[in-house]
Amino acid sequence: MFKHSYDAKIPLLKRSKGMAKKRLSMNVQCYLMIALPLIGFFVFTLYPILWTFRWSVFSYNGVPSETRFIGLDNFIRMFTVDLDYWKAWLNTFKFAICKIPLEYIIAMIAALLLNQKRLKLKGMYRAVYYLPSIISAVVIGLIFSNLFGFFGLMNGILIDLGIVSEGIDWFAGKGSALAVLVISSIWNTFGVNVMYLMAAFANVPEDVYESAKLDGASSVRMFFSITLPMIAPIFQIMLLLSLIGTLSINEFILVMTGGGPGGSTMTVMAYLTQKFVPGFTSEATPALGYGCALSVVTTILFAVISFIYNAASKKMNDLY
Amino acid sequence: MNIKNKTTMMISHAILLLLMLLTLFPIIYTFTSSFKTNMELMTEPGRLLPVDPTVENYELIWNSDGFNIGRLLWNSTYYTLINVFISVMISSMAGYVFARGEFFGKKFVFACFTALMFVKTGNITVYPQFDILNALNLNKGLWALMIIHLFGIPVVNIYLVRGFVLSLPKALDEAAQIDGCSFIGTFFKIIMPLLKPILATIAILSFNLYWNDYILPTVFTTTKPEQQTLMVGLMALKSTSGAASNWNLMMAGSVIALLPLLVAYAFGNKYFVSGLAAGAVKG
Repeated sequence: MFKHSYDAKIPLLKRSKGMAKKRLSMNVQCYLMIALPLIGFFVFTLYPILWTFRWSVFSYNGVPSETRFIGLDNFIRMFTVDLDYWKAWLNTFKFAICKIPLEYIIAMIAALLLNQKRLKLKGMYRAVYYLPSIISAVVIGLIFSNLFGFFGLMNGILIDLGIVSEGIDWFAGKGSALAVLVISSIWNTFGVNVMYLMAAFANVPEDVYESAKLDGASSVRMFFSITLPMIAPIFQIMLLLSLIGTLSINEFILVMTGGGPGGSTMTVMAYLTQKFVPGFTSEATPALGYGCALSVVTTILFAVISFIYNAASKKMNDLY
Repeated sequence: MNIKNKTTMMISHAILLLLMLLTLFPIIYTFTSSFKTNMELMTEPGRLLPVDPTVENYELIWNSDGFNIGRLLWNSTYYTLINVFISVMISSMAGYVFARGEFFGKKFVFACFTALMFVKTGNITVYPQFDILNALNLNKGLWALMIIHLFGIPVVNIYLVRGFVLSLPKALDEAAQIDGCSFIGTFFKIIMPLLKPILATIAILSFNLYWNDYILPTVFTTTKPEQQTLMVGLMALKSTSGAASNWNLMMAGSVIALLPLLVAYAFGNKYFVSGLAAGAVKG
């Protein structure tokens, strides 16, 4: 890296010594600059991960005298006794299946309309659509709890229109609580996908459309035969991000419904937080060993989901 | 042809405008609601504008003992600003090192940092972190959380800076080093001033992230309620207030929590979006 003209003026022996010194000091300087994250990697990241793996085979609740090694009992328990955890997975998938397609349809329509060359005020629309995604889950939770509260705006409108005679208790019904969650979380993040899609559309070269137009292709045909295949690579990444993001939804659930009613909207990550994390759990000494086992299985399942997704999208690529 | 185009534009604007109104409405409704009395909130939810606008709600939360907004705001402010500073410094230095540095184990360290993005053990890891902080005699509280952030690894931000530094001409560093500047010196004197746009992006994204942060500040302030941040306090207000009795306060609190973000978004809109675009390239 430092082999420059001035090297030639230094005697050979001295140069190699100087180089070695410089390299050493380069090493030192580099490590100095990343010292904090490097220490943090071992102390606050790697160690906690290993800690989680270790206690997953113990019965452990923070009290030393009650701690004992139980082998795979925690794992056996989660597959045989604790059905709440698997119910949470089911809820998580239900939520994702309701949310992602709807969100993508809305984002796709918005992005397609915004992609028109002659359209004005593009910047304004884009800025507004993106705005909700900067708002905190807590504030969104308050806003939508108010809108969908028993005395809230939504019931007010429905009663005024004569659709219902009495207000709906949105957060008390399983279906309606899920609907509020889906609506508010689409409101929260669809703008991000509009941005991604617009960037993807901008990457499709103009001349492909022009030659298709000369061949007499309709705009619907062009969308399915040109646009969609051309944006497929970006689309796959977007979908992976949405999938992982939606499946690991956590604080949003905790602030909106707290998992209710009756645990019907409890997602996996929210379940782990509410069961084991101080400040959220109602138990004084939560079963940490068991929580560690759940966390380990959750980590592995997320890795498996990403792996399956990648394998599936590779297959898709081969189809083209 | 021309007429057809015009109708297409009209329909497009109609749909986009509708979507825009749906997006803005909850925010606007929250703003106007914060000037309504609790009575009006409950009895006439269908009205957008308050019958008799009042700033009473703001006075109430300002003077309330349970919801001490001055203290909450102060906690949120220093928590956010210190974390933004940490984030900018750590990610710019690490990004520079991974772009320009040549050191033993560089690839390995970088791979380790990147691999972190894929491990999702959830929040149970706060227990071992507590253990370490206790062993170091750093008690729980917001400051302990900031220490964890100080040693954190902002992977995405590191990627952003690294990409930016790689795009700078290498001749810059070399010229500085020929003039006797050390590797670290080159960073502070030459590279960092050039990083301004990407650091502004990181600063604004971190500001957004830490201002909105909820779960970890809750965990770390359970034993020290006087250190609660605004989000923690707002959520506590929601869960403690019986049924729907405090909506006026919650709306006013939401507005106060929203304002700094909206102001930042109004002025730094392009930084929010450029971070998104830069992140998208990396997947």
